[in-house]
Amino acid sequence: MFSFTKEQKINDISGIIIGGQPGIYPTVLFGGFFFKGVPDYESSKKLIKNMYDLSNKTGNPVIPDFFIKKKNYIEDTINFIIDNVPKDKPFSIDIIEPDLKIEVLSYLNEKNILTRTVYNSIHVGITDEEINALKKFTPNTVILVAFNPKDKSPDGKIEVLENGANLTNIGLLALVKELKIKNVLVDTAAMAPGDNSGASIAAIPVIKEEYGYPTGCAIHNVVEKSNWLKDFNNARKTVDASSNMNISLFGGDFAIYGPVENSDLVFPIVAWQDILVSEYTENYFGTKPVEFHPRRKLFR
Amino acid sequence: MIKEYYPWSGEFTACNSNSCVAVVILNIEYTPPDKVAIYGPLKTENIGIEKIVANLISNPNIRFLVICGEDIRGHKSGSSIVALNKNGIDAKNRIIDAPGAIPYIENIDKKAIDRFQSQIEIINLIGETNKEIIDKSIEKCIEESPPSFGKSYISIRIKQKTASLDDKRALHSKIVLGYLGNVKKRGE
Repeated sequence: MFSFTKEQKINDISGIIIGGQPGIYPTVLFGGFFFKGVPDYESSKKLIKNMYDLSNKTGNPVIPDFFIKKKNYIEDTINFIIDNVPKDKPFSIDIIEPDLKIEVLSYLNEKNILTRTVYNSIHVGITDEEINALKKFTPNTVILVAFNPKDKSPDGKIEVLENGANLTNIGLLALVKELKIKNVLVDTAAMAPGDNSGASIAAIPVIKEEYGYPTGCAIHNVVEKSNWLKDFNNARKTVDASSNMNISLFGGDFAIYGPVENSDLVFPIVAWQDILVSEYTENYFGTKPVEFHPRRKLFR
Repeated sequence: MIKEYYPWSGEFTACNSNSCVAVVILNIEYTPPDKVAIYGPLKTENIGIEKIVANLISNPNIRFLVICGEDIRGHKSGSSIVALNKNGIDAKNRIIDAPGAIPYIENIDKKAIDRFQSQIEIINLIGETNKEIIDKSIEKCIEESPPSFGKSYISIRIKQKTASLDDKRALHSKIVLGYLGNVKKRGE
């Protein structure tokens, strides 16, 4: 439970406020859709509604994150977003393949929704074509993934942000500046268990003190990649959901918590951790929680 | 040669250590016959490939790497290991002409990659999901029965700098935590 010396950036992503000193704004939760198989648009409508209901109950803002894995899912997925994510709310798109990213950016531009888009993500594997596409079709918000294949420590993550670790021509932060991206979120790149997975949590306060950007990660990925947990199948979902509370505890601002089906568990766990953090930070650092903070809801 | 012999941990299964074939399984449910030396999945185009390279060259009997199944979307890990075997890495440690998103080899040394290129011939069955065809291909490799490559090559993981309290690169090296939790940059 920390307080940072560096001034903390607070971003407004289409009405979702993210960042700042710990204990003021609640952790923003990114719930993922369409990771596996063919996108099931019908059942996802209920899951989106459930996310917003949980957000209203707990106070934790939500950004639905849509994985697009194939070219022929682009139009249907974006049309689904337009029809089902409230018009004034942001959403994020998660794509791995550079070519697909470029096509999606163009389609988001055509639909005039780049201002609501959180681009997930920019990392050291960015191509020149992707950079050119981002210059042409610039989303308001990007997630920078601080993955450094040669150094997974917090300092290695700083290195890719600062100078690209000799993998890109310039540092990722300089790149987003060049691209004139309005809001930057830093994802500390959770690794597989056994591969310095804890560094993604330890890096949160380091990056916030170094730069002040809203910072978080997809710590649930570590749990998802665990073979060891196969021996504890009943506990897997609980371990997965509860791993997210580390982010709030270490001063982070957002959790990309994986499958949206886990929302019922994740929201109260993270809200509870936000309450603990806020109680402490207000007492010792005088940081007052905002009106919609989970702690305010607790004492309503 | 038991599983523990392969020095880099991973999700692999070790079978007959005298066999000349290893199998990488991409995105399919498939169990190779137990006459192969080692088999397992490949997911990432960086750390995953490093583990496979290090483990293959530790067993000089392995001369073929059969890569089968559908390549991993985005990561293109199968095609990236094929590119590594063919082209090696550039000055920035990027696999030359690899189609994956972040195909960097950072944790094994150049000699290990040279050895991988000389010792291992890749049987590229990327896109092939027919188990009979994959089995036949493995059988063909075994029939060829090439000689051992000689001595085992144990690739040492390039060590990240270790942490100590005075080390500027230690965990939290850039910050100092006060006992109440107030954070400041080291040296300020």
